[in-house]
Amino acid sequence: MNAKGRGAASSLRVNRLHKEETAVSLNAYFRRYWQLYALLVLPLAYFIIFKYGPMYGIQIAFKDFNFFQGIMGSEWIGLEAFKEVFGMRDFYLTLRNTLMLNFLDLLVSFPAPLILAIMLYEMRTLWFKKLSQTILYIPHFISWVIIGGIVYQVFGTQSGMINNLITSMGFEAIPFLTDKNDWLITYLLVGMWQSAGWGTIIYLAALTGINKELFEAAGIDGAGRFKRIWHITLPGLKSTIVVLLIINLGHMISIGFERPYVIGNLAVREYSDVLSTFVYRIGLQSGQYTLATVVGLFQAVVGLVFVLGANYASKKLTDESIL
Amino acid sequence: MISMMRKRGASQTKKAALVLLACSLLFTACSSNSKPEASSGTNAGTSKERVTLKIEVFDRGNSPAGSTITDNYLTKFVQQNFGDPNNIDVEFVPVPRSEEVEKLNVLMASGSNVPDIVFTYDPNTFNRYATQGGLTDVGPLLDEHAPNLKAFLGDDVLGYGQFQGTQFAVPAIRSIVGKYASFIRQDWLDKLSMPVPQTTEELYNVLKAFKEKDPSGTGGQVIPLGMTIASAQYEPLIWSFIKPTTEEQKYTLMQQLGSNDYPTLLPGFKEGLQFMNKLYNEGLMSKDFGLDKDKKKLGEDVSNGKIGFFSEDDINPFYDKGSYDVLQQNVPGALLASVDVYTNEEGKHAKPMYAPNGLYIMIPKSSERSVEAIKYLEWMATGDNLFKMQNGVEGENYTMVDDIPVTVENQTEEAKNRLYNSGDMAIISNGKQLGSMEKNLKARELQMPKKFQDQVAAAQKVANSDVIPPVLMDRPIEAQTKYATTLLDKFNEMIVKTTMSKPEQFESIYETMLKDYMASGGQAILDERTAVYKEMLAK
Repeated sequence: MNAKGRGAASSLRVNRLHKEETAVSLNAYFRRYWQLYALLVLPLAYFIIFKYGPMYGIQIAFKDFNFFQGIMGSEWIGLEAFKEVFGMRDFYLTLRNTLMLNFLDLLVSFPAPLILAIMLYEMRTLWFKKLSQTILYIPHFISWVIIGGIVYQVFGTQSGMINNLITSMGFEAIPFLTDKNDWLITYLLVGMWQSAGWGTIIYLAALTGINKELFEAAGIDGAGRFKRIWHITLPGLKSTIVVLLIINLGHMISIGFERPYVIGNLAVREYSDVLSTFVYRIGLQSGQYTLATVVGLFQAVVGLVFVLGANYASKKLTDESIL
Repeated sequence: MISMMRKRGASQTKKAALVLLACSLLFTACSSNSKPEASSGTNAGTSKERVTLKIEVFDRGNSPAGSTITDNYLTKFVQQNFGDPNNIDVEFVPVPRSEEVEKLNVLMASGSNVPDIVFTYDPNTFNRYATQGGLTDVGPLLDEHAPNLKAFLGDDVLGYGQFQGTQFAVPAIRSIVGKYASFIRQDWLDKLSMPVPQTTEELYNVLKAFKEKDPSGTGGQVIPLGMTIASAQYEPLIWSFIKPTTEEQKYTLMQQLGSNDYPTLLPGFKEGLQFMNKLYNEGLMSKDFGLDKDKKKLGEDVSNGKIGFFSEDDINPFYDKGSYDVLQQNVPGALLASVDVYTNEEGKHAKPMYAPNGLYIMIPKSSERSVEAIKYLEWMATGDNLFKMQNGVEGENYTMVDDIPVTVENQTEEAKNRLYNSGDMAIISNGKQLGSMEKNLKARELQMPKKFQDQVAAAQKVANSDVIPPVLMDRPIEAQTKYATTLLDKFNEMIVKTTMSKPEQFESIYETMLKDYMASGGQAILDERTAVYKEMLAK
């Protein structure tokens, strides 16, 4: 963005100065700023190859996709596949679960990194702060498959660590993984544990942008720690919070595959079966790529609506937006 | 940056479905269409030009040091004995065993690097490929090039590879069709001076005694009945509750999801679930069985001496360093006996068996090497090639005793490593083929550790008695191809939920789950099977 802005400004200036020598000046301009354009090549290539290229495959949603005839060779079927998907019970169940898990996740996991970041920021002992940060980041780098294994070992009903403790004290074991409501709590807490530490990074970065003098001045005026957090830290983070909220809302309809797939199980499928596992089942496992693409396209469209909606709302309410 | 990373995580599946496929499909569109008739017998034996034959191979990630799944003793054996004499370079294309169907789907759709020989255990995948017209008709090729192979497999097995009358696959033959046996801790029975249970009812009393008297002193950790949500554990139990079925019921009410027949609609299924519910609520069964899809926990619990009784694939507990072996190390004096307990109304120990076929071996239509592919299978069925691939080198891997190859004990590391992938390389036969079922069983028994061979023999006997053969429909059931994966999940969910429900809620949960099952494709399968059965009668 920055590069583009500067490039545009300078090209204006260049144009004004040498109107009749456009060719030469353009040449000079590129010679001067080519590095900025070179920097842009990789991200652009990324978006073209991984985000725009695959859109070619969207047509599968409107075709009776045949493995052996390829996309071009398959027959057009109009909206038939959409009708089929919208008639499936599992589609509505997984859609509900996706929205439910994401919404609860937003409630639980969205404020967590913010609170954590403020706590870290308020910490005065540097070595302790660094140590806690490192420990908090670690879960982010553990693959979900491994976390799944740990979760079974810790939360299992019959041989899980926690339940062993509970039963040895003479209480009834709690089915953390096999009762749907208990499972929901396990799912949310594990998700928070995994992501909260890493999520603090962006807030900590934003916090460094707040002028330290504000805190000192407030201190001199007699503001306590909580007053300072309320009146300086939080307002300073407002735009970051809004941006992250908008991004999160955009993902309301899409959900990662690993977490529900690994932590979920047959006993709680009523809650753990989500759109991504649904797509995996009907697409990759059953080979019905047409139906899977329909669901993918549906997610994309709804996701877009969510982002635009959230952005609009935020513009109206707080004057902050990302578009 | 962070937003991008989140985005990547969140749209993971979409990426899998779209990016991977769509990108690779760009190539398919061109490559497979440009040569619509990959003709069969055009240039086969005549040209001297060296060609490459690509063959799928399952990768289980267990290659010993010095070997890879595409370069090992057996791949070299194939190259030297089949490839070089026929002027063919044999190339193996690895596919991870655990996701063979998913990977094969992507491989087939990509069109660019499809092997000339592919295979799957999943009949629905075979049917899907056949429906979509992606497979070579191997009937004429078999007639022309593969007399030995045809004789080896026999018409019965070959029938499983036909799709609406056309031979679209070469089914592998299965040497042993018995599936399941049950196992009980003999030392526990002895301690309680109880006889081996002979019926389901007696078993229930034994399980109760195991729980109450805790014969090995596990301190309340005892799991009388080891259960999982894998078929080897629940099928023997449930099928013993199925009432005697008529011919019509077999054809219409069974549901084939994947390679097994499921009794969802057969009379007696509900009683089976009810029995499981009872066992669960009385604390006689593994509590987390719904989480144990890969039987890992079961194996652990057996080895740790917590489990009193369980069902399993007949010889599974007896491998070297297998669950029984480890159990004996952990619990000195532990004894596991192979038993046949679950009894149905007629007093039989009814349990499912395998179909006589194994893998579906297929040649994609786009393959230009279909003749060579069939010749490869023919080569394997000829002379002692299959025997060598399955048994290795005489004197080092096996010695012949009464016409049966007996595994040499204390083999050298080199000899051991020869056959680690033998089962996945000798694709035309599932299990050793020695000419008769007795010999096949004996050979399998003799390859197990010596100290367990008596129990192995007993388990194999159990697995092969009172078996229920799978039902082969006249034509493939489209609804099964379409809904099998979803319904299998629902079937397992039904078992887990009804078993874990409170007894008073059993009825309503069973009703809801069955309704959901029927609405998600169960009804469609029922309708189609009924229609096909009527057609069969009309003939």
